[in-house]
Amino acid sequence: MSELMKTPLFDAHVALGGKIVPFAGYELPVQYKNGALKEYTEVREGAAGIFDITHMGQVCVQGIEALKFLQYVTTNDVSKLVDGQVQYSALLNEQGTFIDDITTYKISDEAYYLCINAANRHKDVVHLQKEAANFDVTVIDESDDTTLLALQGAKAQAALQTLVAFDLDNIGYYKFTRGKIDPTGGNAGGIVSRTGYTGEDGFEIYIPNAIAVSVWDALLEQGAVPIGLAARDMLRTEMGYALYGHEISDAVTPVEAKLMWITKLDKGDFIGQAAVEARKVEGAKKRLIALKLTGRGIPREHYKVFVDGIKSGEVTSGMHSPMAGGVALAYVMPEHAIEGDVSIEIRGKQVAAERTSLPFVRSNVKK
Amino acid sequence: MRIEGDVATFGVSDHAQEALGDIVFVELPEIGRTVDAAEAYAVVESVKAVSDSYAPVAGEIIDVNEALESEPEKVNTEPYGAGWIAKVKMSGNSDELMSDDEYTTFLEE
Repeated sequence: MSELMKTPLFDAHVALGGKIVPFAGYELPVQYKNGALKEYTEVREGAAGIFDITHMGQVCVQGIEALKFLQYVTTNDVSKLVDGQVQYSALLNEQGTFIDDITTYKISDEAYYLCINAANRHKDVVHLQKEAANFDVTVIDESDDTTLLALQGAKAQAALQTLVAFDLDNIGYYKFTRGKIDPTGGNAGGIVSRTGYTGEDGFEIYIPNAIAVSVWDALLEQGAVPIGLAARDMLRTEMGYALYGHEISDAVTPVEAKLMWITKLDKGDFIGQAAVEARKVEGAKKRLIALKLTGRGIPREHYKVFVDGIKSGEVTSGMHSPMAGGVALAYVMPEHAIEGDVSIEIRGKQVAAERTSLPFVRSNVKK
Repeated sequence: MRIEGDVATFGVSDHAQEALGDIVFVELPEIGRTVDAAEAYAVVESVKAVSDSYAPVAGEIIDVNEALESEPEKVNTEPYGAGWIAKVKMSGNSDELMSDDEYTTFLEE
């Protein structure tokens, strides 16, 4: 295995009592000294939780055919974006299965910014650069130069507003602004978007590595609470947000993963379109459903799901939700998506579960 | 482990609860079950991990801490008090007892 990378905030995490674990090629804090549950509670109950998610990758796409290129390589309709808007989307292969799920930021007609998953970064960049050869665009991997922070929770806006001159009220849900963010008094800047992975109001902040520590420290001074990977996963699972390698992978198409809402089959030709159309006609191989345990226990990834006594699939993400109890996202056979008695096998025992709607707990995002 | 007469109180060591992190679920053993030394008798789940808890000594489970069903966090906050898991009537002699270190090793494996 290759050497693990450190983010510019590594020393800050250690100083805060962060328990460092390997994650997607980086050394990152799974929790800080107060523990994952307290961190989770802080974010849900109104703090400004600050997350170092620098492991995520960033790719800049520029050129006169930037829109045409992105329409071809991503699933969502990029032509619908206005400058300063963000879009959840995906990269598919010709088989219609996921290379990655991404967010697309439109800076201008000829400049876009993609945020990609850390674990898929190299695969994504190779894929994008290969496809870019047929378009008048350049694809630049900016991941190594960029620090990405998420600031999530009811107090996120107040904390961040002290650091920037632009009015955060003007940034709507899935919108962004580029501007100066430099607590050291310099002229460094970055991207601030009202996006996140927690179900709380908040922002994601893309800044150059050189000012990472000063922005982090300034936000801590404003009362932001550092949050590790474990609480981040709890927060996203409660929202039912897909995570690559769990709900989505190169084994499923958007038809199975309930992501047809980001897959615009009528927008024109794109990679994977024909395969997804075919899958839609022949029907999903399996379906993603949300489950809540009615018996005691905690559903975990890979636990088997039974419907009417038949092994139907398995859990892709599961957890103990402090608010909702044992909850899980799971794939089951298509015929079991709506009807039949569901149970999850936990250590050899069948524990009763019921289908539920997402999110598992109320979302507080400001749409 | 605490011993009073021939009854041992099983739980998770302070060191182990620290290593496991926030405990959110404890699967208690059934009363009447007999366990061997080093046998997994309970399951302790933290936010991210599922861990077996191993019996430091053989015996019969005579009581379990049902309070942990609603307050599993007691394992973290009071590992040697209100966070106990089971009371066991010991069947062996004290030679079979594991030291604290051995017990901790078992918990972490």
